[in-house]
Amino acid sequence: MTFEHCTRCTICVENCPVYKVEPRFPGPKQAGPDAQRFRLDPEKSVDEWVKYCCQCRRCQVSCPYGVDVADIILKAQLKYGREHLSPLAAHLFANAYHFNKLGSTLAPLANRASDWPLTKSVLGLFGVSRELDLPEFRFVNLERGRRRMGRGRKVVFFTGCHLAFNRPDIGRKVRDLLASTGCRVVMPAQTCCGLPALGNGDLDIARKFALKNAAMLTRYIDKGFDVVYACTSCGLTLMHDYPGILDVPGGRKIAENTYNVYAYLFPLLQAEAEGGPLGTLELSLAYHIPCHLRALGIGYPAARIFEMIEGLTCSILDDNCCGLAGTYGFKKRNQETSRRLGLIAAQAVRDTGADTVVADCGACRMQLSHYALMPALDPAEIITQAMANTPKRSRAGSGIAQKILQTIQMKRRSA
Amino acid sequence: MLDVVVIGGGMSGLTAAIHLAGAGLKTAIISRGDPVCCLSTGCIDVLDLGGRPMDGYGALPEGHPYRLVGKRGIEDGLRMLKDIMASSPIPYTGTIRANREILTPIGTFKTTCLVPRTMEASQGCRDEYLHVISFAGLKDFYPSYITSRLPDTGFSLFDAGCSSTLALAARFEEQGFLDEFCSWLSSIEIPPGRVAIPAVLGLKNPVAVMEEISSRIGRTLFEIPTLPPSLPGMRLFRTLKTAFQERGGEVYWGNPISSVEIRGATVEAVTLAASGRPTRVQGRAFILATGSFVSGGLYATRESVREPVFNLAVRVPGARKDWFLHDFFMPGHPIEGAGIEVDASFRPAGSSLENLFVCGSILANSEIMKNRCGHGMALATGLKAARQCERMLV
Ligand SMILES: Cc1cc2nc3c(=O)[nH]c(=O)nc-3n(C[C@H](O)[C@H](O)[C@H](O)COP(=O)(O)OP(=O)(O)OC[C@H]3O[C@@H](n4cnc5c(N)ncnc54)[C@H](O)[C@@H]3O)c2cc1C
Repeated sequence: MTFEHCTRCTICVENCPVYKVEPRFPGPKQAGPDAQRFRLDPEKSVDEWVKYCCQCRRCQVSCPYGVDVADIILKAQLKYGREHLSPLAAHLFANAYHFNKLGSTLAPLANRASDWPLTKSVLGLFGVSRELDLPEFRFVNLERGRRRMGRGRKVVFFTGCHLAFNRPDIGRKVRDLLASTGCRVVMPAQTCCGLPALGNGDLDIARKFALKNAAMLTRYIDKGFDVVYACTSCGLTLMHDYPGILDVPGGRKIAENTYNVYAYLFPLLQAEAEGGPLGTLELSLAYHIPCHLRALGIGYPAARIFEMIEGLTCSILDDNCCGLAGTYGFKKRNQETSRRLGLIAAQAVRDTGADTVVADCGACRMQLSHYALMPALDPAEIITQAMANTPKRSRAGSGIAQKILQTIQMKRRSA
Repeated sequence: MLDVVVIGGGMSGLTAAIHLAGAGLKTAIISRGDPVCCLSTGCIDVLDLGGRPMDGYGALPEGHPYRLVGKRGIEDGLRMLKDIMASSPIPYTGTIRANREILTPIGTFKTTCLVPRTMEASQGCRDEYLHVISFAGLKDFYPSYITSRLPDTGFSLFDAGCSSTLALAARFEEQGFLDEFCSWLSSIEIPPGRVAIPAVLGLKNPVAVMEEISSRIGRTLFEIPTLPPSLPGMRLFRTLKTAFQERGGEVYWGNPISSVEIRGATVEAVTLAASGRPTRVQGRAFILATGSFVSGGLYATRESVREPVFNLAVRVPGARKDWFLHDFFMPGHPIEGAGIEVDASFRPAGSSLENLFVCGSILANSEIMKNRCGHGMALATGLKAARQCERMLV
């Protein structure tokens, strides 16, 4: 629906995280449908504040009339970006993929370098916030660990940058979960989904990334592969923006053949559990629903899998944006907004009294573990651990998640 | 496969869904957007045709949804809401035995039945001096509307550095800000009486915030609902949504139903238009709670009024030319009676569908503005439809 369907009811405003903490942002109603009536293509944009929108898409999800509020604002952000020189930070983040790739190749050095005060001040000059540590690089990134397994359904795993470069351990868990249900998983060479470039006002770079991925993905789809994603922001980009604003060849085909990994796994794991529990894990979770999972309109698939785990309790938290919003919170100008939203979301997590927080999005996890002062895990880590605890399956739980979970459980027992 | 799919996440759909999920049925809500509740005062209107709520019951026409639910059913709906709210940080006050009055932002009084604890002390506020506290630059709230209408009143402004109710609510959740506000409030001269404040005392724990302010200044305090964005409406909606999720309910938010699958007399599945690829949701039973015109549950064209999801027959009062009245908000506007008629089991009248139930403001003959029965009717019919649905399934 276009801006003309807006009735100005203000429900979008009620749902805007930025509006409640950033007085310079007039809210989605004004930034979207209201201002849209005055935006003329040939006229140079003057609404610099439109960049304060973090593209969480909560306005669009809440709109009772189906107005594409977030899409209207995104287009205005891209128009602004096209017409004005962007700050250095925007260039940096639009091209995050290349830095990630470099960073993970030089992991030990890059990690140390990103801790140096000098690096921090240089990044500061570029407009990068120093509130949160930049994510750590892993030398053995997922791209290097390519492997094929299984003989069942054929699956392309679209890992996204965060799992590829920063958390390959989670990527491997996702891959192994798929393989354990008999899927044949491939992880062909892939690049950034394009969302960071979109979020930084650069449609051309976003499209460049998207075209590369689209060519690869459609090739596999034509050979009978399904595509799965674990990062819900990459997922939304593939589903919504590839056939939408990025308009890449094969975009519609990709959207039709792409699945959230937990929605994909649910029936497979259900079959494997044969009506019984999938596994055991004595733990209480606060499940922070990433904004982009909400926007996908597929429900919360990982929560359905959690229901099959004995001993697990899960509080769903879907009313808060974590405030990091990909690269948004890493920019100095958004630092205070991001911090305040992070504190609100973290408080909601703490109010549940849960042992640990879970989220499908790497950015949400970074932000929430920072502000809630507790470990933040991916659903794959929970599921893998629960399955490892079942005697009939001898799959080993491993890595960071296992250590965290063991500590939590020891604390529980001694309490 | 789900047991029940509720279409529409407003007061009626949420009530139905909470009841069903609480009864152990696997239930999901599909909602295109947030409901009207988020724009409301958060107060539950039950019926106001003069006197106590149920005094007007006999004057309602035969086909009014309340008549199909019965007095007991109306009470059950209110009790259910009060129970849910009692275990949240925002308990509700009031009973079906009396209506009460709350002060509005323009200095008039609104009749309603159940109110959030933060508005409890609004009742009877005209009997003593009233001091309104507002905020410098706050949009859409002008205390002089109140002070010019009501004799024994005055106001003061606090500069909180923000101009919206939502921003203020976020600030009131910070202890530092609350302290600063309380010390300012203690420092100003207020004649003896009550203190009123626009509804900005936080989203999550407004009662606790109110009680802290109240005890620190030693005055009775209450909230005045504001124009949308309306915190009390949001609080009510979010508390109910959370109550549903705590009972294991699933939500699919942000996309409309694009098609339905019907075989014989059974609705088998609905499809929602999600990003990229539609999502198909199967259920054993379905509840339609898509609201009235304002939410798109009913849709008026030049020729007719349609129900867009199942294309159910819509009762329309008379010919289109009769819908035109001088004033849309005039009580008794004929279009207010438009909607879906149901039988005693809350299935759509004249339809052969056996596993479809209907509730809320989409129902025919409700005349919500005339009868002032908004949320109350949503609660009563939501619970009733859910019980009928439960009876069919269990
Ligand atoms: C501005 C305003 C203020 C009010 N204030 C008060 C008040 O203070 N007190 C009071 O008691 N009453 C009030 N009322 C009346 C009261 O809010 C409503 O009568 C009542 O809440 C209606 O609830 P409902 O569940 O029937 O519908 P709604 O709240 O309208 O909910 C319907 C839901 O269905 C969704 N939907 C619609 N179509 C589709 C579709 N095709 N697919 C999926 N989902 C769909 C909508 O997005 C919406 O979430 C007010 C009404 C208005 C308009």
